[in-house]
Amino acid sequence: MTIPTATARMTRRMITAMTTDPHLTLHQLFSPAFPVGAFAWSHGLETAIQEGTVHDAATLRVWLETVLSHGAGWSDAVLCAQAATGRDSAELSELASALTPSKERRAETMEQGRAFAATVRAVWGADVPDAAYPVAVGCALRALDLPVADGLRLILQAFAANLTSAGVRLVPLGQTDGQRITLALAPLCAALAERALTADLDEIGGFAPLIDVASMRHETLYSRIFRS
Amino acid sequence: MDQKTAEDGPIPYDTAQTARPAIAPQRAKGKAYLAVKRRGDKSVIRDLAMAGSAKLLFPRGAGPMLDAVFLNSAGGVTGGDDFSLSASVDDGASLRLSTQAAERIYRAPPDSAPGRIDTRLTAGQGAALHWLPQETILFDGAALDRRLRIEMAADARVIACETLIFGRAAMGESVHDLRLSDRIDLIRDGRLVLADRLRLVGNAAAQLGRLTGGALAVASVAVAAPGVAAMLDALRAQLPATAGASALDDGLIFVRLVAEDGYVLRQSLVPLLRLLAQDDLPRPWML
Repeated sequence: MTIPTATARMTRRMITAMTTDPHLTLHQLFSPAFPVGAFAWSHGLETAIQEGTVHDAATLRVWLETVLSHGAGWSDAVLCAQAATGRDSAELSELASALTPSKERRAETMEQGRAFAATVRAVWGADVPDAAYPVAVGCALRALDLPVADGLRLILQAFAANLTSAGVRLVPLGQTDGQRITLALAPLCAALAERALTADLDEIGGFAPLIDVASMRHETLYSRIFRS
Repeated sequence: MDQKTAEDGPIPYDTAQTARPAIAPQRAKGKAYLAVKRRGDKSVIRDLAMAGSAKLLFPRGAGPMLDAVFLNSAGGVTGGDDFSLSASVDDGASLRLSTQAAERIYRAPPDSAPGRIDTRLTAGQGAALHWLPQETILFDGAALDRRLRIEMAADARVIACETLIFGRAAMGESVHDLRLSDRIDLIRDGRLVLADRLRLVGNAAAQLGRLTGGALAVASVAVAAPGVAAMLDALRAQLPATAGASALDDGLIFVRLVAEDGYVLRQSLVPLLRLLAQDDLPRPWML
C-alpha cells in the first residue's frame, strides 16, 4: 500500500526536521536515559569486585582498559562500524552473538540491542532491525545519517561510563572518582574508535580470558545485583 | 656490515640476533584429509590423503571411536608455514582426533607471514567428534594465524579444545614479541553459534600481567550436543577459581581456563576432558 508508506516517510521527514543537529541525536541515543536498560548489566564486573580483583579506582580503571582494548569494547566498535557501512545486519548480529563467551554476556548484547532498535523505530520511524547492540547502533547511525566516527567514540565511552557507574555503586567509589575514570578513558575510546573505522571483521578479537571467566562465574555468585 | 665481509668472513652464530637470511628459508607445508564412516558398530576410514609435513597416524584403540593422531613431521611451525587438516565424520560415525606432541610455534622472521594452521572439521547427523590436540607452545617471536572451523549437525556431539602456552616458564623463557590470532568458529545446523577470537600482538609477557594476572596458560573448550547444558553443574564442580563455564544454550557449553603454566593447567583440564568425553584421553596425552 502506498498511502501509509508515504505518510511514514513524511512523518520521518518532519521529525528529522525537528532535530537537525546530529550531535543532539547522538547524545540522546547514548544517554543513560535511553531505555535500553544498560544500568542492569555489569559485564562480569560484579564478579571481579566480589572476588577482590577490582577494589578501588585504580583497579577499576585497569579492568575497564582491558575490556575496551582487549575485550568487547574493540570488537563492538568494529561491528558497529561495519553495520554503519550497510553490511548485512543479520549476519553481523549472528557474529556479535557468537562472540560472547557466556550466557549473560549474550543476553546483555541481545536484549539491549532489541530495546535500542525498538526505541529508534518507535521514535524516529527509522528502519533499524532487532540485532545485537553494536549492530543495532551501527544500523541507526546509518539510518539517521549520523557521523559514524563520533558514534563510535560515543558507543565506547557510553559502555565504559555505564560500567564505571556499576563500579561506583559496587566498590563503592565516590562519584568524582567515577567521572575521573571516564575522563581518563576518553583518549583510549577515541583511539579505538578511529582504528575501528577502517578495520575489517577479521581484526575482531582480543585477549581478556579473565573478563570472560568473570562473566561465566557471575551466573553462580551467591548474591548479585546485576544481570551480568 | 658490508655484504662482501659477511660472505667471506665467519658469520656471527647467534642466529636469534642476526638479520634475516638473504635466501628465504624453505617453508613447511602440510595437508591432511580424513573422512570417517560407520560400518556396523565401528567407525572406519572412508577416505584419507596426506601431503607434505602433515601425517595422520591411526593407533589401534579399544574404544568405539576411530582414533587419529595428527603429526607435524616438520617439527614445529614458523613464519610462512602452512598446515591444513580437514576431517569429515559421516552420519552416525565417530572420530577422536589428537596430536602426537605439543605444537611448537617458533620465532618467525619479523616481516614474514604468520604460520597458518587451518583445521576444518565436520560432524554429520548423530556423529561424534572430539578434537583434543595437545598444547600449543608459543616461543618468543612466534607468529601464528590459526583457524578451527567446526560444522556440525544439530544432533552431533562435539568436544573441541585448544590450549595456548605463552613460553616455557620452567626454561625461564618469556614471549616478548608475539603475533597471535587464534579463532574457533562453531557452526551448528548452518548457524554460527560460537566465534572465539583470541588476538594478542606485541610484548605478550608485559601484557599478560594485566590480562591473565601473569598466568601463562589458557585453554578454551567448546562442548556441543543436544541437552549438554545439563552437565554444567558437574563440570563447574571440577573447575578452579581461575576458570569459568557457561551454557550458551541448551546444547552448547563454553569453558575458559586460565592457569599459572601448562603443568597446572593439565591438573584441571585433563579431569575436565575425561568428564566430558566419559573416557580416558587419547594415548599421546599420557606419554
